[in-house]
Amino acid sequence: MNTHSCEKSDLVRDYAFDELAPAERKSLEQHLTGCSDCAAELDRLRLTTAVLRVIPDQEVPRRIAFVSDAPPARRWFVPNLGFASACVLAAAISFSAYRFTAFSNAAPAAPVAPVTQTAQLSQSQIEQAVTKAVSDAVAKTHADDVQMTDAALKAVESKYAQQQNQVMVAAQEYLDLQKKQLHTYNTLYNSDTRPGVSQ
Amino acid sequence: MIFRAAPGGAHDVTPRGAQDSDLIARVRKGDVEGFNLLVSRWEKRVFNYLLRLTGNPDDSLDLSQDVFLKAYQNIRKLDDAARFGPWLFRIAHNEAYSRFRKYRPEVAAPESEASETSFFERQTAPGIAVDLALAVAGALDRLNPEQREAVVLKIYQGFKFDEMAEILDCPVSTVKSRLYTALDLLKTELAPSPIRGTR
Repeated sequence: MNTHSCEKSDLVRDYAFDELAPAERKSLEQHLTGCSDCAAELDRLRLTTAVLRVIPDQEVPRRIAFVSDAPPARRWFVPNLGFASACVLAAAISFSAYRFTAFSNAAPAAPVAPVTQTAQLSQSQIEQAVTKAVSDAVAKTHADDVQMTDAALKAVESKYAQQQNQVMVAAQEYLDLQKKQLHTYNTLYNSDTRPGVSQ
Repeated sequence: MIFRAAPGGAHDVTPRGAQDSDLIARVRKGDVEGFNLLVSRWEKRVFNYLLRLTGNPDDSLDLSQDVFLKAYQNIRKLDDAARFGPWLFRIAHNEAYSRFRKYRPEVAAPESEASETSFFERQTAPGIAVDLALAVAGALDRLNPEQREAVVLKIYQGFKFDEMAEILDCPVSTVKSRLYTALDLLKTELAPSPIRGTR
C-alpha cells in the first residue's frame, strides 16, 4: 500500500503519468526538489511502470481488412468481345423484326383462335378433361412402373440363371477332377500290386 | 453496403501526414479503403488490449474484427473525430465484456484462470529475465479485472484519465482509484525483486 505521507502524493502520481496542467506541473517539480518522500515515491512509481512494460505487445496474427461487396461500377464503351456479341445480337433481332413486319404487311397472318374460347367450355367439360388427363397420367406412370419392374425382374432372373450355370459348371469340373483323382489312385494301386511295373 | 473481414489488405501504406480525422471523413463518404487505413493504424493496439483482457489470441482476433465492423457501422455516430481512439476502445471494452458474459455467464468479467498459464506469463520480451517477466505476469494476474484493465489502458495503451473514463464509462476519480490501487499492489509485489535483480 501507499506509505507516502506527504499531502501531495496524489499529485506525484498524476505527475508521473503526465496528467497535470502546466501550472501544477511546474509547482510540483519545485516541490520535488525539496521533498525526498515525494521524490522517492516518484522513483518507485516509475520503476514499477518500467517493470510492467517488460511484457511487450504482440503482433496481430492475421491482418484485418474490409472489402466492399458492392457490385463494380458499370463500364461503358469498352471494346471487348461481349460488347461486339451484343451488337451482333441486337442487329439480328432488328433484322428479324423487320422481316416479320414486312411479311405481315404483305400477307396478313391467319386469325388466331381467341383466348376467350377457353372460357366458353363448361365446368363439366373442364372436369372431364382434367379427369382424363389425370387418368392418362396415372396409367402412364403405372405402365412405366410395370415396365421398370419387369425389366428389373428379368435382369435379376438372368443374373440368377447365369450364377446357377456357373455353379453347375464348377460342380461338373469338380466331379471330373474327382474322377481323375480316383482313376489315378486306382492306377497307382494296381501298379503297387504288380511289382516291376511303373506308371 | 455489406462488408466482410478479409485476410490481407492495404496495410502499412498509411500516409504519414493523414490524421485519423481525415480518414474518418473519407469513411463517412463511403471510402472503405480509408477505413482499412484506420484499421491498420489501430488493429495492433485493439488486438493487444483485447488479448490482455481475454488472454486468448483467437478470441481477441475475432473480437477485433467485430470491433472494427461495429466501428464502421457506427462511425457516423462519432461526434468528435479527435476522440476516435477512446470511442473505438469503448466498443472494444463492450464487445469483450459482452462476449464474455455470453459464453461464460457464470463469470461477470474477463478474469484469467489462476490454475492455467496466463497470457501475461506466456509473454517475455527478448533479453528480459524470465523470472522478472513471470513475476510481472503473476502480479498482474492477481489484480482484479477492473484494476488490471485500468493498468492495461494506462500503462500499455497510454490513455489519459478522461479517455479511460470514457472507455470504462465511469468517473475519472474511479479510474484513478482503480489504477493507483493496482499500482500500489504491483509496487509492493514487484519492487524488491527487480531492485535486487537490476542493481
